[in-house]
Amino acid sequence: MTLLLRRRSEVGLIVWVAALAITGSVAVAAADAAAFDRRQIFIPVAFIALMLALHLFLAWRGVRGDQLLFPLAAGLSALGLILVQRLQPADQPLLLQQLTWMIVAAGAFAATILIPRDLTALARFKWTWAILGLVLLISPLLPVIGREINGARIWIGVSRFNFEPWEAVKILLVVFFAAYLEEFREVITHSRRIGPFPIPPVPYLLPILAMWAMAMVVVIFEKDLGAALLFLGIFLAMLYLATGEAFYTLIGLALLAVGGFAVYQLIGHVHVRIDTWLQPFSEELRFGAGYQIVQGLFALGNAGLFGAGLGNGMPDRIPIVWSDFVFNAFAEETGFAGALILLALYLLFFYRGMLIAVRAPTPFLQLLAGGLSFIVAFQTLVIVGGNARLIPLTGVTLPFVAYGGSSLVTNWMLVALLMRVSDVTARVRGTE
Amino acid sequence: MEITFAVLLWAVRIAFLVILYLFLIRAFGVLHRSMAAERAATRAAGTLVVERSPARAPRVGERLTLRPTNAIGRDAGNDISFPDEAASARHATLELRDDEWWIEDLGSTNGTLVNGVRIEKRERVRFGDEIAIGRVAMRLER
Repeated sequence: MTLLLRRRSEVGLIVWVAALAITGSVAVAAADAAAFDRRQIFIPVAFIALMLALHLFLAWRGVRGDQLLFPLAAGLSALGLILVQRLQPADQPLLLQQLTWMIVAAGAFAATILIPRDLTALARFKWTWAILGLVLLISPLLPVIGREINGARIWIGVSRFNFEPWEAVKILLVVFFAAYLEEFREVITHSRRIGPFPIPPVPYLLPILAMWAMAMVVVIFEKDLGAALLFLGIFLAMLYLATGEAFYTLIGLALLAVGGFAVYQLIGHVHVRIDTWLQPFSEELRFGAGYQIVQGLFALGNAGLFGAGLGNGMPDRIPIVWSDFVFNAFAEETGFAGALILLALYLLFFYRGMLIAVRAPTPFLQLLAGGLSFIVAFQTLVIVGGNARLIPLTGVTLPFVAYGGSSLVTNWMLVALLMRVSDVTARVRGTE
Repeated sequence: MEITFAVLLWAVRIAFLVILYLFLIRAFGVLHRSMAAERAATRAAGTLVVERSPARAPRVGERLTLRPTNAIGRDAGNDISFPDEAASARHATLELRDDEWWIEDLGSTNGTLVNGVRIEKRERVRFGDEIAIGRVAMRLER
């Protein structure tokens, strides 16, 4: 009984997640009575059982601190399952796969809560993380395990399961940067200045610059724009968090502009992406490369204030909607009202993550929590911006919601790490 | 039959949106409560304001934030430490018990003084009291 009361706020929110999962699933199933499959009812039930098991696991381990991130991640994952159920094509059993991945993600979450006994010990193995990250990045280019899907060679696979290694690399990169920036914080933050401009302490920045550059080269080789943008974002954000120098970020953005222009000129793949962003409705593009974004925009345009109702819209007109355009699908069927809530949930997640970062007792933990929270917020901005044609579309997934195993597993590990930081803080401060 | 099904379907769709809103509102509630609890925890803890101090650290006027349990002494391993030869390595502890601050001398050479009076064993400290350890004097404040 005390086990149930230990994390009371959390269980209070999990109840709402359960209600959400069931009503959503019922709404989707009832809308298309012809395709109704009775077994689909087991999906939300299995999901709720999984979330309750994780909650009890956290209570049993006596994890202290934050009780908000876990229900938020669970709520977003529930929306993900509802949307995959809604959007799965008749010939692909995506929903069952997503549930399987959810179980794997829950396992990874529990393992991350259990395994690093001492979170600060992560900082001691920073070079191991850097090397592991690079190996993972190169792995899709290797024979046997490397696989090419939809024109991008960014996958490794064993039998039917495919994994995008860069998803895991983003966490390794944050751990490495946090550990490195903590160790050399003194020399990196107290830089000399010319007038108001700081001179970057280049020799000390070299290892992280090299690490970042290698990641970029590999990612560009694999033609993965989203990952490249994400890595640059992580690098600049963590440098800013560690030094407080906005000037470095400005240099980084200038480099992005120059590099972006060069890449636009040199790589055809990128050229097409930019063209479909600028003029998707042009004669040559709207039934070709621009078809996906055009359909996505129609879905957004039809949304209105309250949308078509879950299961009542036509988001299945968008190609590969379940992984690339879930935001548009959700917006079309729940309207402005629903889309706003989805974004608010991410905002709450980010705010909570940053609060954990601010309160954390050591610079390493602060940078770790800050970087991890940043990943979720930045990925959301990049993909939703791309879906709404505010920025070019890149292959980044909407965290927790979009279909995809690698992203789900790593994002749940990210939540576990944030909760561990919060737990350490609560223990040091002697609060609940 | 057809009509009732359609009405039910819309009821479920609307319920989904309503639950989504309620979930967000409850989540904000949890955030608000946890922040309030943390604020209360830090407020109850209190601070020590340095009043007198020998040449080196701590500076006069410095505010030392207290934890629920604080070890004070010359040794760097203490929660509050200062390099004053008149203080013992492990000098005293300052503890919060049921919203009351208690100080205990750990058998130091020069003793611990509360408002100028040397304490024998555990002693209650109130806000505004002055604690002297070695040549450092600090006032307990909220």
